[in-house]
This record gives sequence, structure tokens and C-alpha cells, in this order.
Amino acid sequence: MTQKLFGSFSRKRTSFLFGLLVLAFWVACAFVGPFVVPQDPYADDLMNALAPPSAEHWFGTDQIGRDVFSRVIAGARPILSVAPAATFLAALCGTMLGLVTGYAGGWVDTVLSRLVEVILALPLIVVALLVLVALGPSSLNATLVIALVFTPIIARTVRSAVLAECKLDYVPAAQLRDETALHIMFVEILPNVLPPIVVEVTVRLGYAIFTVASLSFLGFGIQPPSPDWGLSIAENYGLIVGGYGWTVGFAALATASLVIGVNLVAEGLQDAAR
Amino acid sequence: MTPLERQIIDEHRAGRLSRRMFLRHASRIGLLAALPAPAAALGRPGATVRVASQVPSGALEPLTVSEIGGLAMLCQTGEFLIFDGSDLVLRPSLATGWTPDADCSTWTFTLRPGVKFHDGQAFGAADVVATMDRLCDPRQGSNALSVLRGVLSPGGTRRIDELTVRFELDAPNGNFPYYVSSDNYNAIMLPANYAGDFEANFNGTGPFRLERYAAKQGASFVRNPAYWGRAALPARTEFTFFTDQQPQILALEDDQVDAIVQISVQGAQGLLRDPDVRIIDIPASTHRQIHLRCDQGPLADRRVRQAIALCLDRPGILHGLFQGRARLGNDSPFDPMFASTDRSVPQRRKDLSRAMALMNEAGHADGFETTLTTERQQEIPDLAVLVQNACGQIGIRVGLRIEDPGTYYGTAQFGRSDWLDSAIGITDYGHRGVPNVNLAAPYLSNGAWNAAHFRSAEYDRLVAGYIAATDLSAQRVLAGRIQTLLLDETPVIIPYFYDYICATGPTVTGVAVSGLSQIFLQDAALS
Repeated sequence: MTQKLFGSFSRKRTSFLFGLLVLAFWVACAFVGPFVVPQDPYADDLMNALAPPSAEHWFGTDQIGRDVFSRVIAGARPILSVAPAATFLAALCGTMLGLVTGYAGGWVDTVLSRLVEVILALPLIVVALLVLVALGPSSLNATLVIALVFTPIIARTVRSAVLAECKLDYVPAAQLRDETALHIMFVEILPNVLPPIVVEVTVRLGYAIFTVASLSFLGFGIQPPSPDWGLSIAENYGLIVGGYGWTVGFAALATASLVIGVNLVAEGLQDAAR
Repeated sequence: MTPLERQIIDEHRAGRLSRRMFLRHASRIGLLAALPAPAAALGRPGATVRVASQVPSGALEPLTVSEIGGLAMLCQTGEFLIFDGSDLVLRPSLATGWTPDADCSTWTFTLRPGVKFHDGQAFGAADVVATMDRLCDPRQGSNALSVLRGVLSPGGTRRIDELTVRFELDAPNGNFPYYVSSDNYNAIMLPANYAGDFEANFNGTGPFRLERYAAKQGASFVRNPAYWGRAALPARTEFTFFTDQQPQILALEDDQVDAIVQISVQGAQGLLRDPDVRIIDIPASTHRQIHLRCDQGPLADRRVRQAIALCLDRPGILHGLFQGRARLGNDSPFDPMFASTDRSVPQRRKDLSRAMALMNEAGHADGFETTLTTERQQEIPDLAVLVQNACGQIGIRVGLRIEDPGTYYGTAQFGRSDWLDSAIGITDYGHRGVPNVNLAAPYLSNGAWNAAHFRSAEYDRLVAGYIAATDLSAQRVLAGRIQTLLLDETPVIIPYFYDYICATGPTVTGVAVSGLSQIFLQDAALS
């Protein structure tokens, strides 16, 4: 599989590597950022509120005097905890659902596929908001909600791949050997549909990052005083008009760079998979 | 001259009442009822004044309106018996005079003759009786009950003759005129035959009459040619509704509107520095209450509550959150701007060593965990983070739960409201000309807004005495005792009282506002 994934890798090597570098930077920030930042990202300094970027505060301070640079670096952790966790959970559930619907066919496929289509017909952010209003805003609930809305999307991709695989000889051969359905789905078919799953998961990760940022911006995702980027933008966007753009700009750039990095990696993997 | 009037004049002569405080107190008992409105710098008549306002959240029903957008609309065509100006001096509006009896349990109001509603009906005592009975009636769902419950009951307002009404109160009340003034924003006078159709016709007695109202979009008003007072300067006013502050600021800077009803410092820092914008900044008793539940967990120990209050850097909060456009709070509703506030009560200041000592004495040297629940509104989330950080200094680990206002207030009933049920919460309280309302519901043992679950028979007794007190010196003595008791018990932390801020374009004159987000445009002009 690795050979198949990376066989045609050279064509988009540069952009893939750039994306990987950006992603690696933010992952490193998520792991060690809070320990290496120059100032406590949570500590307020009211007498130094809204200070512009300077040698002491590279990205300036926000409206209660917190160091924006430290918050941007530390802010990688919450978003890179929720988004990958939600994507992984969606991948797990979506893969199982896709395997079952694709392999079983018949009424199982009909019922589950219609259910998936119903969920897909609803706007993602509206579903997420409705569920979060009912459950209450928290990082855990945001993870579960994003996983819930991404599961059908991944399931549909997996189902298509499984349907194609089921037409190949090795599946009837396994059935003739009296292998169980579980064995055929998870041991025979799954390894052969992994490349599209990996690509789909990487693409979904980019969307998940955006969704987490959006939910936090709307007040339903990660909660204060987290340095999460979406939350920071929500807390400070009103200051842009007043000329305090640094309170928002760096968090917005961080979000954009992470999404671009993930998308470049996804694109590279997609090419390799082809 | 009554003994009460003589006492206020003597206080002024003796130098114990400044001129400003004298005016406030003399106006309270009707001594200055002939006081004219402050002279406005008259501009050129005939302009169309365009205003950006917060969108009213629901139907415009004077009985139930409770938010900024709605109450800014009510006062465009509606008028009150008394006008409470930004200087807290009461001035005649639809009432020309008011006098109390000896113990202030009965107040008699004389009404203005020759006033007509916009539909042509004459205004008189029957309209006052009907309006006040509606406002006091629990069956009507009146928002004004938060002010009038325990003060005036249905049937307590009596018609004496066509232009005289008498209010027979549930208990003596020395500040009663504030309860029927523009301070009580629901109390615009409506016709006796009012059929609940205010949103359709805005039928009031004011200087403007409705031209058009489109829910969620805007409203326009034109000069009322039959107005009882001086004709309004603008020929027309136009209100555009917005849900957020930022588009309002952009509209003002782009000359699409001439004024914004209210701005908050958060997000308007640029506007406040703009030399081309006129800022109307008036002191208001608007504040935030940080309630601490007195009946459960570690917060039941008043030493813990005192310790939390001692952690806050109040001057820093004033500087950081309000750029100085606020005044220090001392953990009671007695704003320094109130005449009755006892200024000899020491201001609480940050004292971490004392806070740590109190935590030790209370057996919480290692701190504890708790949750602060509050609403997402203006600077409140920032204040929540500051409280969280401050508590962290003495080992209290505070988790934050920040909700939309609807979720936070819930049904506003105990057991069904995060506001009233939370261990620690932060709640917004609006401006009032006197502290009476804010002394009652949030603190009394049976108070409907007592989120701190504070129970003190001594406090209840002191507040009853304060509300009944007629003369200022008695009010001050009781205020001092209430302030001291609240500092000692600390059921609530009030870190600041902040100013009301309105912004207008550079060519706009004559805009008047109140601390309650009411905007009055009859003297507005564009130069």
C-alpha cells in the first residue's frame, strides 16, 4: 500500500513537503508549545491591554493583556486535539458503516444508505449547532458532534470502494472458502480500500479544523479561557475596526496555515493514491 | 413648606448636600416640579436624524419589553409621568407636580392638562390608573413587576379628578417618583382603552408619531404637530436595527447613520479615539453582579467569599475593560453617584495575603474546585476569565461555563435557571436612578433574583427601613449599615459601575440619552 500511495509522489513533492512542514510545525506546537512560549498564555495584564506588537510581545496583547504570540502557539493544542479526534472517530464509524452497507447489500444497504443520505442532506453546521445546544458546549461534545456529521460522508466513500472490490475475484473466492462476513470485510476487503480511506480522512481533517474553529467562534466549541484560535477570533473580532488587528489576525493566519497545510498533504496523498 | 422639604433645604444650606444632590432630592419630593428641562442648544429644525439601534428581540409590547432595542423604541412616541434625566434630577413630563403624605405611603400627582394621544384621545387620570394597574398586575406578565412588586398593587392607583391621581402604596416609599419615571422603562402612559396593539400604531403622547415600523428592520417617526410641548426639531427620525455593534460603528463612520443608541467600550475603542465622532458619556449605575452561593459548598463560608472579593484588581479592571469609563464598585448596589451612598465605608482593595489568610482560616488552604457560569454579553466573558485568574491566585480552581443569555437566564425560576442555580455567576444589572430595586430582588431573603441564596433577617430589616426612609440623612445612615453588612457577608461582588456611552456624528447636536439606553431626539439637529 505504501508503494501505491507514494508511487507517483514526485509530481507534487514540493507542495506536499511544504504542507507536511506546516502541519509538523503546528503538531510540534500542540505538543510542546505551552511549555516553550515566552509568557503564560492565560495570564492577564490589565495595565498592558491591547499593546501593539513589540519586542516584549511579538504579536501584541489582547483586551485583557494576554500575550497573543503565546496564545497562538498554545492554541494549536485545543484545535489539534478536537479535530483529529473527531476525524479519527468519524473514520472508524464511517469505515465500519461503509463496509457493512457495501458488502451486505440488499435491505441493509438500502436502509443504512437512505439514513446516511438524510444526514448528508442537512447542513453540517446547523446539525452541529442543534446537537450542541442540546448537549451543551464543550470540547468533548464538539468532538462527538463533528464525528457524527462526518461519519456518513466517510461511510459513503468507503461503500463505493467496497462495492468495486466486491466485484473482484478474491471476494467470491473467500466466500467459497466459507470465511465469515466479518473476516471478508475486515481482513480481505479493508486493506484494499485503505488508500481512499486515508485520503478521505486527510481531507476531512481539514474540514474538521474549520468546523472546530467555526463552532468555537459561535461559542459552541472550545470554551474560554482556552487560547483556541476560533475562540480568540470570536473574542476579539470587534477590535479590528478600532485598529487592533493583531488580536485577530495572527489567530486567523494560524487557522488558515493549518488548513492549507493539511489540504496540501491531502492533495499529495490523493495524487499518490491515483 | 413640609418638614421634609425644610429638611432638604437645611441640608443644602449646611453644606451637607451639594447643589447637584440638592436638585436630585428636591425633585424627588416634588419640590422642584416646575423645574424646566435643561436648555438645549437649539439647532436648525427640519432634519432627518438617522439612528442605529439594537434590534428589538420580540414584539414591542410596553408591558413586557425588557431589552435595549425595545425600550429605545418605546420612548420615541411614549412618555412617562416624570422624566429622570442623565443627572438623576426628576423633571415634570406628563405629571406637573407630585407630593407625598407625611410617611410617604401615599403620593399625589397632578397631571398636565391639554395632552392628547396620537389617535386624538385626551390624556387624563383614567389613563394613568389603567396603565399602572396593568403594570402591577401579575396576570398581565408585566416586566415592571420587578420594580413594582411590593410597592404598588392593582387598585392602588386612584383617580381623584380628571387631572389628579393618588398612589396608595403597599409600604412607605421615599423614592416612589422614580418608580413611575423614565427609570421604569415600561411605564409609558397608554390610553385606558389600550388593546395591546402598540406595535401597530405606537399610540403615545410624545413629540414624534409613528410613520412606519418593520420588525427586525427599522422604524421611522415624524414630528407630532399636536404635541403639548415645544415642537420637535427633527421633521423625521429613522431607526435602522442591527444585531451587532460592529456594523453600527461602520455605519456611523461611513455617514450612513447620525447616531448609535449605545456602544460598549469593548469593540468600540477605535470609535472612542476618533476625533470626528462625538461621544456622549454619562455616569450610570449599570453594573455586573458576581454572585457567590451562600448556601452550599465552600462558598457557604463568608471568609471564602471575602477572600475571592479580595483577589480582584478593581482599578486594573476599570482600566483594562473600560479604559477608565467606569467607577469602582464596593460590593453593594450603592453606586458612588447616589446621594444616599455612605462614602465613609472603606473601599475594598486587592489584598492577596489577607485573602490567603482567610482561606486558611476557613480550612481551604489547598483551595477547591468550582464552576463560574455566565452569559456571553459585552465584557462579561473577559470578566469571567479575570475572576478565574484571580481565584487561581488563592488556589480556587474555577471552571468557566459561558452560555448564550437565553440559556443562562432560563425560565428565571429557582431550579430552572443557570443564573439562579449556579455556584458562581456573573449577571448584568441595568441603570436605576435610585438603588431601591437593586437592593431588593437580588438580596432579600425572598428575592426573586437572589442568585446568591443570601438569607439575612438583618439585611431584610435594613432594606425595608431604607426604602421607607423619607429624609436623606436617614437614608444615608441605613445605606452605611447595608453597605457594611454586604461587605462583611459578600454574597455578591460588584467590581464596577460603568458609564453609558452613545456616539454621534460630528454634525449632530441635541441628542439626549439616559443610562437605560433610552434616546430622546426632540432637540436633535444636524449642523
